[in-house]
Amino acid sequence: MKFTPRLPRENVNVSSTHPLAELLWLTGGLVLIALSGYLLLGLLVDWAAESVPVRAENWLGAKAAEQFPAQPSPALQHRLDLLLDRLPVASPLHDYSFRVSLQETPEVNAFALPGGRIVVFSGLLEQVESENELAMVLAHELGHYAHRDHLRRLGRGFGVTVAAMLLLGKDSFITDFVSQTFLTFEAGYSRTQETAADDYGLKLLVARYGHAGGAVDLFRRMTDRSQAGIAALFASHPHPDDRIAALERVILNNGYPVEEPETLEDENWEE
Amino acid sequence: MTATILHNLDLFIFLILLLCGYIVGSLSERRHYRSIEARERALLRLAVVTAEGRFDPYQVKDAFLVNGSVVISTDYFKRLLAILRNIFGGRVKAYESLVDRARREAILRMKEQARAGGAQMIVNLRLETATIGRSANRKKQVGSVEAMAYGTAVVIERQ
Repeated sequence: MKFTPRLPRENVNVSSTHPLAELLWLTGGLVLIALSGYLLLGLLVDWAAESVPVRAENWLGAKAAEQFPAQPSPALQHRLDLLLDRLPVASPLHDYSFRVSLQETPEVNAFALPGGRIVVFSGLLEQVESENELAMVLAHELGHYAHRDHLRRLGRGFGVTVAAMLLLGKDSFITDFVSQTFLTFEAGYSRTQETAADDYGLKLLVARYGHAGGAVDLFRRMTDRSQAGIAALFASHPHPDDRIAALERVILNNGYPVEEPETLEDENWEE
Repeated sequence: MTATILHNLDLFIFLILLLCGYIVGSLSERRHYRSIEARERALLRLAVVTAEGRFDPYQVKDAFLVNGSVVISTDYFKRLLAILRNIFGGRVKAYESLVDRARREAILRMKEQARAGGAQMIVNLRLETATIGRSANRKKQVGSVEAMAYGTAVVIERQ
């Protein structure tokens, strides 16, 4: 046999796929898996929000309350109790023992934490001018409980962070990144949830006072003034103009009377 | 912008390393392949066989051991592709070219050594590979592959 030196025509040992194309396929697959996991988690959270017992919620609420240095406020509690008396007999909110507390923060906001803990920021009280407005704020938060939004909101961000923590460990910078991103993204309610809570709040307000006076006053004041503290509320809630329009539509459709709201007495909110 | 970068410094360093890995890695790989192909053509007439080779005593003027060895490192980009492959399974294409380059370079170095010794052919070629650094595929470690080629160079008696 004669030896004929020649080079092989092609290299069978190296695939011809472009490395960037491979990266795209692989990361695409990974993103797809993550995305379906996220969606699945969303469904799971919806299911969990519907079925979690109040006892488990109270435990979660105690955890969440640690993040808010809020003091109990008897003055606010009294107003909340008056609202609670007007709840329909069949309301699921009767299972809760609601506690409202006050936090010294210039931010204009209020929170519905799990387990019936409502936190009102002092910045909000400074904006409120009538009893009816304050009742509307509290009733709005009760609306979130009635629709179990407070759990839904906590759940997804919580779930994603927990999932990242389990997969990558809590020291991983990806976990950090995920918790930063998702917890802030999920911190607000959706537009639909806010509108539904407004709707619920309005009905409770009418049940309490017999008229819808003061329901939109706070939102209206927010559109008029452009203060730094108010900007925070804009970030996590839909635009006040939309909320006013939606509320006025409900008032009109149901034929609620609108009367003069009661002036808010200057109270010692802290004690 | 600066605050965002500082806050996610790890992520940015990772992305920069990834980009560097890709650009520098593919440039050097292309250059290496060009050099390999040119040298292979130049050394084409020096035959290398894996067969043992039997020669009559008067045919062989000299015979000696030749070996060529090379270490080639992965880059960040290839490593990421390999890690992703670990999740999905399948051929780790990113490392194929790495091992291919290492093998061919090792054989070339061996052939160059043989030619320097005046040999006309190499018989009994053997190839070995090894990973350098035990944590070659572990977190925050970029591994390398070593390929080693050795054989017997034969100087044939001219008649």
